[in-house]
Amino acid sequence: MKFTSDVVIGLEVHIELKTETKLFCGCSRTGSQEPNSRTCEICLGHPGSKPVVNKKAIEFALKLALATKSQIADTLIFSRKSYFYPDLSKNYQISQYELPLAEKGHLTLSDGTNINLTRIHLEEDPASLIHPSGLAASQYVLIDYNRSGNPLVELVTEPEMTSPGEARNFMKQLITILEYLEIFDSDECIIKADANVSIKESNYQRVEVKNITGFKEIERALKYEVARQQKAVKEDEKIQAETRSWDADSGTSTTLRLKESEEEYGYIIDPDLVQIELTEEWTKKIEQSMPELAHEKSKKFSEQGISEEMASIISKDKSLAELYEAVSKKVDPDLAAKWIRRELPRVLKFAKKKLDDTKIKDHHLIELLTSIKASKITETVGQKILETLVHTDLDIKKHIKDEKLEAVADSSELETHCKAAIKEAPQAVEDYKAGNEKSLNFIVGLVMKATRGQASPPEVLEVLKKLL
Amino acid sequence: MTKRADDLKKINKELHLFNALDDAPKSTKGPLKDIAVSVKDCICVRGMESRAGSAILEGYTPVFDATVIERIRKAGAAIIGKTAQDAFGFGSFSVNVGKDMQIPKNPVDKTRSCGGSSGGAAAITKAAEFPHIALAESTGGSIVAPASFCGVIGFCPTYGRVSRYGLMDYANSLDKIGPMAKSMEEIATMMQIIAGYDEKDSTSLQEPVPDYTKALTRKIKGLKIGVLKNNFGEGVDIEVAEKVADGIQKLQDQGAIVEDITLPITEKYGVACYYLLAMAEASTNLAKYSGLRYGKQEKIEGTFNEYFESTRDTFNTEAKRRIIIGTFARMAGFRDAYYLQATKVRTKIIDEYKKAFKKVDILISPTMPFVAPKFSDIKKLSPLQHYQSDIMTVGPNLAGLPHMSIPVGEDKEGMPIGLLIIADHLQEETLMKVGTKL
Repeated sequence: MKFTSDVVIGLEVHIELKTETKLFCGCSRTGSQEPNSRTCEICLGHPGSKPVVNKKAIEFALKLALATKSQIADTLIFSRKSYFYPDLSKNYQISQYELPLAEKGHLTLSDGTNINLTRIHLEEDPASLIHPSGLAASQYVLIDYNRSGNPLVELVTEPEMTSPGEARNFMKQLITILEYLEIFDSDECIIKADANVSIKESNYQRVEVKNITGFKEIERALKYEVARQQKAVKEDEKIQAETRSWDADSGTSTTLRLKESEEEYGYIIDPDLVQIELTEEWTKKIEQSMPELAHEKSKKFSEQGISEEMASIISKDKSLAELYEAVSKKVDPDLAAKWIRRELPRVLKFAKKKLDDTKIKDHHLIELLTSIKASKITETVGQKILETLVHTDLDIKKHIKDEKLEAVADSSELETHCKAAIKEAPQAVEDYKAGNEKSLNFIVGLVMKATRGQASPPEVLEVLKKLL
Repeated sequence: MTKRADDLKKINKELHLFNALDDAPKSTKGPLKDIAVSVKDCICVRGMESRAGSAILEGYTPVFDATVIERIRKAGAAIIGKTAQDAFGFGSFSVNVGKDMQIPKNPVDKTRSCGGSSGGAAAITKAAEFPHIALAESTGGSIVAPASFCGVIGFCPTYGRVSRYGLMDYANSLDKIGPMAKSMEEIATMMQIIAGYDEKDSTSLQEPVPDYTKALTRKIKGLKIGVLKNNFGEGVDIEVAEKVADGIQKLQDQGAIVEDITLPITEKYGVACYYLLAMAEASTNLAKYSGLRYGKQEKIEGTFNEYFESTRDTFNTEAKRRIIIGTFARMAGFRDAYYLQATKVRTKIIDEYKKAFKKVDILISPTMPFVAPKFSDIKKLSPLQHYQSDIMTVGPNLAGLPHMSIPVGEDKEGMPIGLLIIADHLQEETLMKVGTKL
């Protein structure tokens, strides 16, 4: 391959699929954290046990293949990848080799650049190794097979990314797709990347960096690696073909092994697993069940009138996008976008909750925003109602009425409140009269307090100015 | 102690047929009530030490029953113990036993091998004077070869007909569990219980199981027999060839029609193809035995590689040989020429059999080219000569075809001779029908 850019990056990403059970046995993928409690003879590799593939995992992988416009293989064939390591219960990993599940897809970055995908395949996760007093100091290693046999998708890109930022962008787009497809949950599934990195100055000598978790880490690890290589070239050091391991805690990487030749895995087809036909009928059915993806939603939203930036931000989060879609049908799209883009995330962040964990539904927001638009309630009151909705399901109309939250529209009532506030704050009045415009805000605040937020601040300001 | 348990103890002391024995096995209601079932060591029996004849699995008691064991328990069987075998099934004479384990002897002549790898199974089937059926296993001939040497019926079903769940793997694409017994009725009874789909084995077949006992009484008039004529010539004991020919004549007398068949590809490449595939698969299957999770453990010292090395030294010579050859055959650079080439040859062999079964209903040959050899003669064999003895049995095993060895008399020294019948896929009933006519 002919490279021209200063930096060349390719990624190999491992994604844990959000299935109920493991890839080849009935053990739960998540649950008890007690070591080795979610295991059976199959994921422990006992003699005589046999794998049976989890159909859900195949369907999840097919969804990703379809979403990335990949070419799907006719048959699914698993292979044994042999190497001795204590985290492998059988000392081979069931993976795919010659014929991956899918090939030649692509993923689009936020600026429209397409990154080509070499392959997508399914494999089982090894167990986790625990070094009780840290990797270097531990005198022994503990093995927890709870993770052994979890379903992973491995996605390999062509070496087409030209900067650490672009790699981050790739990971972000990928995670958005995975969450839209509901095959991955960033709260509980692991996503890990191995990156191959090379720079022009070394005539693109490839170095592999392993063990990078999440999209923020990828940029950090790659920036470190590019800088390391550039420094080495400057200091006349030869860059070696090697595999390095990224350590997020120290923010550095260390040599794992020098590559003299490709690793030898002695692949054979796993004779315990029959070949499964990936029929057109099956993939069609899966395709029909797939949701509209983020970039499609974003395009649609901006065509409906909100700004491209706003549309892109809202569509990144599937539940926000779906909420917006429902709400914008009934209320002004700009108002809906503003609330879903700003107020809602603020309230959720404060409550440390995800939208799906709250009582907030589209009909609430429609009711709320309609009331605001009609000046029935103020935005301040609207915000408060939204905060309540996080944990309590409300009949919004009734709530406004019962709690007497209607905006103070009566000008004589407003004047009474304003007069009272002026009396309460003689110092602020004096300051205002002495030319300090800002001190008026203090009095506005008093009025808002007295009306429990039901007065509109601009109106209060106007009345105050008139009175003073 | 019951008489049976007493007998078993005596037999075992003399012939070393069992790696584990149960003195007082339970038998419940069902078609196998009061029938003693012996189980080849490589089939997992919950709570009973199961080692596949190896020393590396010393002390390993499975936490689960193999599907066949679940099924025979439900049918009322009394599981009397685990029968001796070549470790992991690697051998044709049951002499490749695990380190420090004893070689089983032929009940007909103690100076001779009982065959392998299901040697203990065949020998106890011959020696038992109580109602008994053995559960054995074949990868390349391990049911029919010992059955032939001991003078009992060995029945190997179509690949996938009987679940392999709980069978310690030798070569997964070739392994099959099947019964051994003295009568066809017992074979049919056992097949009825163990055959059928199992969701725990992806390779098990979904086809319904016929009523096997009904097949036993069917006539063979008009049955077309293909005689594998090249299996009667050079390298085959004359007495063996004669007795098998007598058997064929007996079937002809009952209305069967005979023609000669040759299988050039199978005859030329069968043994090589079989050993390449079996060893390639075996070398991955044996990787899991590393003293880390079960079986024999060594003192934990050094790095994990050093630890694995010390534990895996427990493998016997034949296991080490097959791991090394099997690993070589699948390494980059050799994989295309050996492993992948063998998978292609296998397809050709299957095609060759399929073509033959368009012309005939069954194929007949001697099971083994000779009678049970003396231990002193086996010692003189090179590994390659040892492998060559499987020449007649690897074909149906590679093609996954049902086949059976049935006794057809003895040589002058009284050693049993077996006749091999091969049928098309899922034609177990044909084997049973023919079996009752010999």
